[in-house]
Amino acid sequence: MKCEECGERQAQVVMTTVINGESTTRHLCRECLKKYQTGDLQSVLAAVLSAMAEKKQTPDITCPRCGETYAEFQKTGLLGCAECYTAFRRELTPLITRVQGRAQHAGRRPPVSEEEQARQTQMEALRSQMEAAVAEENFEEAARLRDALRALTAAGEAKA
Amino acid sequence: MSDIIVSSRVRLARNYEDLPFRGKISAAQCEECVNRTLSALRDLPEAYTYLPMEGMEENEKQALVESHLVSPDLLKEEMGAAVLVRGDERIALMMNEEDHLRIQAFAPGDDLKEAVQGAFSIEDTLQKKLSFAFDPQLGYLTACPTNTGTGMRASMMLHLPMLTLFKQMGKVGQLAAKVGLTIRGIYGEGSEAQGNLYQLSNQVTLGRTEEELAQAVTATALQMAEMERVFRKRAWEKDRVAFEDQLFRSYGLLTNARRMNVKEFMVHWSNLRLGAAMEKLPVSYESTLSLLTAAQPAHVLKAAGAALSEKEQDAYRCEIIRSALQGGN
Repeated sequence: MKCEECGERQAQVVMTTVINGESTTRHLCRECLKKYQTGDLQSVLAAVLSAMAEKKQTPDITCPRCGETYAEFQKTGLLGCAECYTAFRRELTPLITRVQGRAQHAGRRPPVSEEEQARQTQMEALRSQMEAAVAEENFEEAARLRDALRALTAAGEAKA
Repeated sequence: MSDIIVSSRVRLARNYEDLPFRGKISAAQCEECVNRTLSALRDLPEAYTYLPMEGMEENEKQALVESHLVSPDLLKEEMGAAVLVRGDERIALMMNEEDHLRIQAFAPGDDLKEAVQGAFSIEDTLQKKLSFAFDPQLGYLTACPTNTGTGMRASMMLHLPMLTLFKQMGKVGQLAAKVGLTIRGIYGEGSEAQGNLYQLSNQVTLGRTEEELAQAVTATALQMAEMERVFRKRAWEKDRVAFEDQLFRSYGLLTNARRMNVKEFMVHWSNLRLGAAMEKLPVSYESTLSLLTAAQPAHVLKAAGAALSEKEQDAYRCEIIRSALQGGN
């Protein structure tokens, strides 16, 4: 049997990768095995992606913004733009979890702009005013506040 | 300065949200990536040099790689590949590599915190004016999904001659893997680690804070340094004369040889550094660190300022080494 990675040399070892309980088996030559033993995540991802491609597990999705197809991603391991993360989210999330072990960012975040901060403070104020209006059974005022709140929420989503 | 931890570095991968990633980017968008980065950083107080890869001499490029200011991968890119380097070479911002930006910061010794702060301060300056691709769940978005989240790789360069000599590197590698880190030789190819120099870095980038990642690297590096010290002590106590003989022979060769290739240099450099760490040889850590770079092939050629044959290079390397070690510095 030929090595499943290079397709040239004779396969000498069977590599089983178990990531979060899911195992993948590949027949490799010693040269190609070395690549995987360095353990860097990019090689692990490449192994998982090519195993999926071999099993013809290639969803027919194309990123609407940059035109990258899932098949392209399986080949290169690289995404075309930030929007690809949204277009391929259903497929990517389990993949990222397999490689990274976790799927919720815990680090730094982009700063919130002054405008956004002001919007959030204003929304907070409207919310408590609305609750107060409801408590006083001033429904007309509560409805007015609710509409104002909705408009602010929409403004924020349009920006994001 | 640390006897075993040679240097610390950090890299943040960032992409502009409105530009396609490397695989789908156009030449005009690459240019835009460079322009907006330079313009957002224009008011930094320190002096920076902008170095586009296009049109740069091959040896200049290799010298940047030897100084760790650019990755070998940047040299493979054509469109818009560039680096912005701070005067003291503690900050180097690669543009148009696999990601739009790779913010790199360096610190001598084990001061990884300083490197991390350096990278953050550049990021803060950029984020005041520009927006990076970010997702609340996946963090900072990168071309390769294995870098998302913090987009951070924190590393420490370790000098581990005795753990190498006593065949402990397998164990050291397992220790690193257990905590999600990886350790590999920096110089030389394949499993060979010339100069007994290794780089320890985090693998996982998502789901941990930057502090947690840096802390994991630091704690593990300190543990490895302690292991190395145990083996140094053991070798020293077993046969002091043999130990000193090895250090002084290398020192003798470095200060007297007239022709030396880089591979041989790395062997003696390792002993020089070990001798400096054990206070046996009259050399400072700083000078071992600058010599390490100065004696690499592209730096030798650059210093010579002329095309040299291999033999001439090996001879010129010795001149560089001798002048660096003169006067016990």
